[in-house]
Amino acid sequence: MKNKLMAAVEEPGLKKEVPQFEIGDNVDVHQRILEGEKERVQIFSGLIISRKGEGMNEMFTVRRIVQGEGVERTFPLHSPKIAKVDVKRSGKVRRAKLYYLRDRIGKDATRLRERKKKTPIVAPSAVPVNTPAATGGQTK
Amino acid sequence: MVLGLLGLKVGMTQVFDSDGKMAPVTVIELGPCRVLQVRTQERDKYHAVQLGFKDKLRRKAIRAERGHVASEFSSKRRDSMKQAGVKILEKANCEPQRYIREFRLAAAPAADLAVGAVLTGEKVFKVGQHVDVIGTTKGRGYTGVMKRHNFHGLPAAHGSKKNHRTAGSTSSHASNRGSGRPKKGHKAAGQYGHERVTIRNLDVVRIDTDKNLLLVRGAIPGPNGGLVMVQPTNKKDIPTPEARAAAEKAKRKGKGVDVKKK
Repeated sequence: MKNKLMAAVEEPGLKKEVPQFEIGDNVDVHQRILEGEKERVQIFSGLIISRKGEGMNEMFTVRRIVQGEGVERTFPLHSPKIAKVDVKRSGKVRRAKLYYLRDRIGKDATRLRERKKKTPIVAPSAVPVNTPAATGGQTK
Repeated sequence: MVLGLLGLKVGMTQVFDSDGKMAPVTVIELGPCRVLQVRTQERDKYHAVQLGFKDKLRRKAIRAERGHVASEFSSKRRDSMKQAGVKILEKANCEPQRYIREFRLAAAPAADLAVGAVLTGEKVFKVGQHVDVIGTTKGRGYTGVMKRHNFHGLPAAHGSKKNHRTAGSTSSHASNRGSGRPKKGHKAAGQYGHERVTIRNLDVVRIDTDKNLLLVRGAIPGPNGGLVMVQPTNKKDIPTPEARAAAEKAKRKGKGVDVKKK
């Protein structure tokens, strides 16, 4: 259990609306970037291969293939620089960590994932809803 | 020689600042501390304030601890002092305190630092200030040189026999001018940890007045729940937060100019 005082310190920094996604989702991570005085949004799209930590320390890792080279970025879930995480496509996975993808080469490595059998019955894909299908894969 | 406060280390976490930058911070439950005694030049030959932190149950405190904070207290010694007409020192009149430490001062303390005064984090520190944190490191017991001094040990193979974590040679006639014994201060196995350590020059990231919390950037000695003393840093030439922000801005601007030139 986390110390109460510790929780009190972290609480104001935690996002009220945590981005909803699952392991195996193809996502666009919208990241705020400060260029000089101007702020713009940069998008990093890829596959969620891991999510770990709790509270303020929660991080998620996005993997993509750039020019044949695997690129992974790990983001703090609660960072104010992360504007939003758009789920583009959901993959069917049987692992909490998809590190085995690192060993795969070529087309069948990252991009081709089995699609989910059923999309959530009620919800349109844009709205995150706590259907059993949406929450089932999450550890917490 | 500055006034500080007592606190307990709560633990480490990370917070985002207004720029969205992440900072590793240690949370300290700091104060409120009560002034139990004021040391004066005339009486004690030095200036200091004695602070108490965290109440202790009266039934768990010994009589000396109870009498230290109570002006109305009957003991053989105090009664006889009273009879003899000796003046008893002013008392804070609070619960017995669990932790009591003195902070030495260069001069007589200000008038508001009288016995019984309560000090909180925001009265002594402000955000952006640099502080020193004094604590007792985690004790590791009697350890060998590899753990204690980061020696490399001896080879695992190549004919090493039963000597893999030893220090090797400790002295020679050449290095020690023929004294025949190791130099003073030679690194060797021994007690590691459980010593008083000061970590200097840590940034104060946040002060929580409701919960009496102080967040400093970086790690501090000791386990979670360990007692620490926090005081303004004694390092010199520390720029103010404003000056540092200005310097950073200038740096950023400089970078921008470079980019344009290219």
